[in-house]
Amino acid sequence: MPTVKNQEMTRRLFLKYSAIASASIAGNTSILHGLVPSASAAVLADQSQMEKKFSVCDMCFNKCGVIARVEKGIVNKLDPNPKLLKSRGMLCARGNAGIQRLYDPDRLKYPLLRTGARGEGKWQRLSWDQALDLAAEKLEKIGKKYTRCGTMFMAGSDMQSKFVHRFAEAYGSYNILSHESNCLLSRNRAFLDTFGEVPLPDVLNSKYIIMPGSNRFEALVTPDSIDLMTAIRKDCKLVVIDPRFTKTAALAHEWHSIKPGTDIAFFLAIMHVLIDEKIYNKEFVHNRTHGFEALTKHVKKYTPQWAEKECEIPAADIARMARELAAAAPAAMIYPGRRTSDYTDSTQIRRANAIVNALLGNWDQPGGLIVAQKIHLGNIPFEPDFYEDNPDDRIDTDRSPMMFETEGAFKHSRDAVIEGKPYPVKAFFTYKTNPMQTGANRQKTIEMIKHLDFMMTIDIAMSDTAWMADLVLPASSYLERIDPISCQQGVSTGPCLVTRDPVVEPIFESKTALWIVSELAKRLDLGQHFEFTVDQYRQAQVKEHPEIMEALKKDGVYQEKRQVYGHYKGKNFKTLSKKVELYNQRYADADLDPMPVYRRPKPIKSDRFVLVVGRNAYNTQGSTTNNLLLRELISSNHLWLNPVPAKKMNIKHGDRVLVQSPVGRQVIKVRVTKETREDTVYMETGFGAISKGLTGVFRCGACIVELLEDKHDEICGNMAMHETHVSIRKI
Amino acid sequence: MTQMQKKYAIVIDPLNCIDCKACLIACKVENKVPDSFWRNWIKENNSGEELRTQYQPGQCMQCDDPSCVAACPVVATYKGENGLVEIDLDKCIGCGNCITACPYDARYRNSTTKKVDKCDFCNHRLKVGEIPACVETCPTKTRVFGDLNDPESDVSNLLQSGEYMRIVNARINTLPNIYYRKGTDLLHWPKEPTLPGGTHMSPQFWKTNT
Repeated sequence: MPTVKNQEMTRRLFLKYSAIASASIAGNTSILHGLVPSASAAVLADQSQMEKKFSVCDMCFNKCGVIARVEKGIVNKLDPNPKLLKSRGMLCARGNAGIQRLYDPDRLKYPLLRTGARGEGKWQRLSWDQALDLAAEKLEKIGKKYTRCGTMFMAGSDMQSKFVHRFAEAYGSYNILSHESNCLLSRNRAFLDTFGEVPLPDVLNSKYIIMPGSNRFEALVTPDSIDLMTAIRKDCKLVVIDPRFTKTAALAHEWHSIKPGTDIAFFLAIMHVLIDEKIYNKEFVHNRTHGFEALTKHVKKYTPQWAEKECEIPAADIARMARELAAAAPAAMIYPGRRTSDYTDSTQIRRANAIVNALLGNWDQPGGLIVAQKIHLGNIPFEPDFYEDNPDDRIDTDRSPMMFETEGAFKHSRDAVIEGKPYPVKAFFTYKTNPMQTGANRQKTIEMIKHLDFMMTIDIAMSDTAWMADLVLPASSYLERIDPISCQQGVSTGPCLVTRDPVVEPIFESKTALWIVSELAKRLDLGQHFEFTVDQYRQAQVKEHPEIMEALKKDGVYQEKRQVYGHYKGKNFKTLSKKVELYNQRYADADLDPMPVYRRPKPIKSDRFVLVVGRNAYNTQGSTTNNLLLRELISSNHLWLNPVPAKKMNIKHGDRVLVQSPVGRQVIKVRVTKETREDTVYMETGFGAISKGLTGVFRCGACIVELLEDKHDEICGNMAMHETHVSIRKI
Repeated sequence: MTQMQKKYAIVIDPLNCIDCKACLIACKVENKVPDSFWRNWIKENNSGEELRTQYQPGQCMQCDDPSCVAACPVVATYKGENGLVEIDLDKCIGCGNCITACPYDARYRNSTTKKVDKCDFCNHRLKVGEIPACVETCPTKTRVFGDLNDPESDVSNLLQSGEYMRIVNARINTLPNIYYRKGTDLLHWPKEPTLPGGTHMSPQFWKTNT
């Protein structure tokens, strides 16, 4: 396996090596534009000068502001860009470790073709021309045999993913997946179906926040995480509802260790108290919401006393929290969350959150839920060809009643590929996404891949997903790229625009997604859809507004002052009833509960535990666990087990256990801790890799998606990752 | 007017700390700290099975009466400009006296150079008008950096509030220049300075001030 580096190779030695590699290719691959003041030749000529160059981080989806310090063509340090208000002048541990992504010995260096069995790890080096010719030939052939929809595309959160989507559309496939159906779709569904849009939480100005199942002090979201600390150190009360004692719980005013899967009971009781004691926002509810009478009737029986028996949060606390919320309203909120791929009824759980927010009347108000402001950007339009033989719909169509066509559902698509229904899909094209580490039930992902004739992956490292591919293409890191402009939300500081220009030249043979799909397009007679560079695309995005590029060049960000509150005065909600839908008629028509209904989760047997997913602040799932700098913070994962069951099973801290679920088994060391409930266990995501190209995490720790069952949100098809019960045995 | 000596200090509000460890990685990259070593840290108030509820960052405290300086047999470590405790690497023999002498365990022996290393508030950044990397990168701005000789500085203002305190060993007070907000749980962790081998010395031994 040629990409596996000698582990002895030190980072500094690698830096030296990279500098030589980058210098040697500098002459012919220069695509420096915009923000970068000097071309590579100048950089090499004047080696004494330290330069500062703007970028935005890519270690997670947040796109925080970065200033790279570059000396002699090498990045020495990444500092935060204080002018990018969305990230509030910070760079987290991962952001600081971005330098290691650029100079990682495990980076892919050139195109690789599988020569052994799938997943065996035998590879042959190809030239780019060979690789692209081969990919084009395969895509052409599969298109002829199985239609253009016979190829499925999946692109992760990235500023160039839009070009992969464009390629998929030009090629003629509707089967385009994002990462989001393993993540946040349940929240989006719920808030769209209540308010008609997905709001932003104005955490900074809130006085009372209930945060159910979100962990903002570890799963960092800018600006929410920073604003949350500012708010609670001022005068905001934070209540965390989570089976696990996260660091957010640790720093909150209150933590309630809710029984997994019972959130709806808790929120129905909150609604009950707000309505029963008439402490909801009467003006907002009467003027702006639909279905209050039905809701009043619906929640009558859901008293805090009833809820306590279900969710194990004391009735008196539930009633008190409802009163405290009401007293602080409208500067009070149920935090909407981000990753909400938890339960089969996650859309209804988040609907319950949305409805409580509506009863508080916090819409479009300081400290409540506010309206996302977009800065309009142009594009380079194109008309994809029509392929007559294509089927009528996406492969995952109708597998859940209210899916997002623009995101797709990974779980459903995977099932469809395996079943070959409604039609065969025989190729899989992935860009910077790693469903082998993020999609529940890894064995099923492997099974899907085994049904394919061809799989190609563009990524920066040999991820577990790349490891399963036939053709692996090396992508440039964010510090080597020119990227299109992207709009980001600073919440109370308004929207902003960010972009990237190369901080250093691409090293080895890595290429950008746009270059790769453009080259493929040429070979597939689709070149007319890609007759532009990223810089030209960017010019098209801002052609009416030269001040945007100037600001990006000068400050690394374009900030726009916008009105933050009061957008909905005299304006209808974008829902069927034109009001906030406490009662959703579309749900009723589709035979779904028009208001959230509590259904008791399946009982947990005495020797079983609910396995929950979560985050720490040191990793973005499998995309950073192999980073040498971050491995110094967390080098493997552990199973968090409460001391009571641990004692019963005679398991001590550090013991190895076999964890078994209905779909898989993994061996992992135990961390005995009160930071999880007696019936709930947890482990970090992104470990137990099968790829030998990830030298740090290969077979290191356990892989959580090997254990998770692939249940799904019954409304939107989002993955449901908290539905698995596992057994634990000391070994 | 002649340039007045600065007295650099960091004032920390541990209740702001979310334990994200951005400061650890920022420092590691900025100062090329070798694998498995750190110039700074975050402590937590409970460990093992108990619930952790507070985090407390720290690093070399640039003490006014530094026991590390007293312990150095070759005057390689000394109280330098602007209140910083500095190490002259040409003189350092790597004996490790200063490592056990530090009540805060802020020093380590660099595995490559075999010489001692520790936080210097990113002195190379200070010299070009920047602030320490750990201070700058922090999401919640837990550390505030500044000059105590400037009565108008943020650090001076914070200390004037009376809300901050030093964390010191009960027996040997080295007069550290990192201050913590009162209410931080972790108070009794600084150890008594020793010479290698756990050799205890009289309090007078550790005095460097006149």
